[in-house]
Amino acid sequence: MARRFDFWTLVTIGTWAILLLLLVIPVGSVLLSSFFDRSGNATAANYLAFATEPRFQRAFVNTLIVGFGGLVGAMLLGSIMAFCISRFHIRGGRFISLLAILALVSPPFIGAYSWIVLFGAGGVVRGWAREIGINMPPIYGVGGILIVFALKFYPFVYLMVSGALSNVNRSLEEAAEGLGLTPLQRTFKISFPLVLPALSAGGLLALIQSIADFGTPRLLGRGFNVLATEAYALYSAEVGSNMSMATTISMVLIFISMAFVMLQRFMSRRNVYHGNMINKPIKIRLKGWRNWLAHGAVYLIGLCGAMPVIISVIYSLRKTNGPVFQDGFALQSYERIMFNLGDVVRNSLTFSAVAVALIVLAGTVIGVLVARRTNLNTSLLDGAFMIPYVMPGIVIGIAYIAAFNTGPIVLTGTAAIIILSIFIRRLPYTVRTTSSALRQISPSMEEAAISLGYSPFQAFLRVTVPLIVPGIIAGAMLSFVTAINELSSSLVLYVGSTITMPVRIYLLILDGDFGTAAAMSTILLVLSGIAVYIAFRLMGRNEQALL
Amino acid sequence: MAYLTVTDGLKQFIGFRALDGVSLSVEEGEFFTLLGPSGCGKTTLLRAIAGFNDLTSGSITLAGKDLRSVPPHQRDIGMVFQDYAVFPHLTVFDNVAFGLKPRKVPAAEIRTRVAEALESVHLEALSERLPAAMSGGQQQRIGLARAMVINPRLLLMDEPLSNLDAKLRIELREEIRDIQKRVNIATIYVTHDQEEALAISDRICVMSAGRIEQIGTPQEIYGNPQTLFVANFVGTLNTLAAGPGLDQVLAGLGLASASAAHWTIRPESLRLLGPGESAGAGAATLEGRVAKYTYLGREAHVLVDTAAGQVVVQLGASELKTIRNPGDEVRILFDRESLMAFDSASKRIGLGS
Repeated sequence: MARRFDFWTLVTIGTWAILLLLLVIPVGSVLLSSFFDRSGNATAANYLAFATEPRFQRAFVNTLIVGFGGLVGAMLLGSIMAFCISRFHIRGGRFISLLAILALVSPPFIGAYSWIVLFGAGGVVRGWAREIGINMPPIYGVGGILIVFALKFYPFVYLMVSGALSNVNRSLEEAAEGLGLTPLQRTFKISFPLVLPALSAGGLLALIQSIADFGTPRLLGRGFNVLATEAYALYSAEVGSNMSMATTISMVLIFISMAFVMLQRFMSRRNVYHGNMINKPIKIRLKGWRNWLAHGAVYLIGLCGAMPVIISVIYSLRKTNGPVFQDGFALQSYERIMFNLGDVVRNSLTFSAVAVALIVLAGTVIGVLVARRTNLNTSLLDGAFMIPYVMPGIVIGIAYIAAFNTGPIVLTGTAAIIILSIFIRRLPYTVRTTSSALRQISPSMEEAAISLGYSPFQAFLRVTVPLIVPGIIAGAMLSFVTAINELSSSLVLYVGSTITMPVRIYLLILDGDFGTAAAMSTILLVLSGIAVYIAFRLMGRNEQALL
Repeated sequence: MAYLTVTDGLKQFIGFRALDGVSLSVEEGEFFTLLGPSGCGKTTLLRAIAGFNDLTSGSITLAGKDLRSVPPHQRDIGMVFQDYAVFPHLTVFDNVAFGLKPRKVPAAEIRTRVAEALESVHLEALSERLPAAMSGGQQQRIGLARAMVINPRLLLMDEPLSNLDAKLRIELREEIRDIQKRVNIATIYVTHDQEEALAISDRICVMSAGRIEQIGTPQEIYGNPQTLFVANFVGTLNTLAAGPGLDQVLAGLGLASASAAHWTIRPESLRLLGPGESAGAGAATLEGRVAKYTYLGREAHVLVDTAAGQVVVQLGASELKTIRNPGDEVRILFDRESLMAFDSASKRIGLGS
């Protein structure tokens, strides 16, 4: 018993050490830096500047606009899709889900880029429209950003709500019908309140992602700046880089994100409904124009959401001459990656693999700690783990630069800093999935093994571990998807030798080399797809695990 | 000395005492049941014997040796769980063979012993299947075979049937009883179901609030309860309210001088007198009016409003032809042997003869 106690004490200390080093110190550095001016004097001038300068006020308002715009758009598209798929017979429902997954695992800025290809200044669709005499406005600006966010983040709402909708006990709706409510009243008075927690949780994810997104406003904004882009601009300015202002904006971003998480938790604090699996709702077979409408809506949303992926694959195969596309198809773009950019692919793969290995190792051990040692102050640990989960990537990047550029630990320019930034963002997910998986395994399972003659440690190894390993591997695959698609923190942290695929794609798009960017995006998508496939094979097709 | 003994077992949790000085002994081959309502400490005691939760103080011995100093995995005690605890990632065969592996049993012997165990629980046909899709009854059979195949020194069962439906519960409890008699392993069985306890046990230990109320054979527990708690918990009981009704009954039975705090009688010991029928010598009657008549097929319950409060009379098969309607005037027959008296500390008082 004494040795076990020592091991878990060690894990507890290790957990807090990880949080201290990778979370408290970086966030603390950001906080500290935001209270100093450029010459190192303590001051609140940065916050004053933030509150008074029109540039920052506008960015603040814009951030809220894209946040709520993304939320509303994602909720609209996601609920329509979830409602149609879970209540009506839709042909190719699995294909629709696949489209949603594609939208979810593609890096967000690829979406922006693909919409530029179609609707930008020289966009293909605009070109066609002009030929038939319609003059479409280009997609740049706030409208474009909101369209991209709605189509990119609707899967959060769709996956959450469809899960909840298909668990609403049919008897409840039948009871309402018996009480004389019309179908419309039933939907709004019974089903809607029951799925509200899922809807708000999905909406929150869309909101936080919209606020954190850097690539989309950067590519599509054209002067429409949000806090994430301002923070990056301030940090990365060649002349007059203003770290203390960048950290001030980072603090504001952290507060906004945390505030919305708290708000959502507060709103859904009483609304926990447990679905029952017995009396599931039946799907209605629609007829006539209603059927066409439902199919049309679902396929339109699904295909538009997956459009970036489709565009990337097509453009990656187009013949090019330098950065200029020619007629016909060729593998030139892939050849260019093979010969010139192999190290970028290799970087991405190694960084993600190492990060995921660390995440699995630390996440599993900490997850066991959280699940099995309830005497520990786990709510404190839970709270601490919330922070990296909602921190925008740009902020993590800036925080890591602030913490590890000087001082006792210098990591800037190394691969380690990129790996660690991915590690801390994804660690909470693994801890949570591991601990909830463990809580579902009845303790009597291990006790049975002990009574049969296995020592407690052996019992854990022979009974509990085999039961949670598939879930852990599946979680690792999903973490891999997040890791390999990470742009914003890597963009702040990379140097020439540690450039990753998303960063390279971003730079290629800025350089106008769309062919290579598309080819690299396709490679990224294929890698993500393989990881998702493995995950689904191991734990069954469970789209919600992607959230 | 008895095979298993627990002496002055005490378990203190923060804020309450789950076991408050429990002492008992179990003989070899005995089927011993811990019976009581939830929270009475029966599961705590079982888990202390298994070694999952140690006692705060007290001693446990098995075959004369101290058990508390032995870690749970070396106690050689088989356990059957309420939630089955069947390993979902192993086949039925591997589940049952699981406990034989750390005992270094040769492979050929594992095969024969597992096959025998599966045969005894009627699962031989399913041995290569995974347990996930199996019914609760089948899963608990796996649990039973798994616990028995290691030939444990003691078999513990923690409410093994409480998650099963009523019919299966009766079927499986008969099987458990038969198998236990055949292999002759001392067994401690925990349940809150008094009928199950009466049906299955050699001896029953009724517990309440961390203390033992009474230990005895099913006949002793039901027929001769030593405390009001036992009488109430096992079977149903009429408690007669003090007043003229009770005085009338006691006077009729020649017990007017006896002093007791609680006078009780079981419904099946009462009879309804037919019209014109008179109470014999040494019996007493009480008039009342039928409040409710519940017909149950092989028996019926009549709830009667009397001067001694509401009294339930259980009618046997021969009395079911007469239908009683609410409002009917009836006379209840009491006989002296069936009346049970308890003092103010709820302990049984002998009534002499």
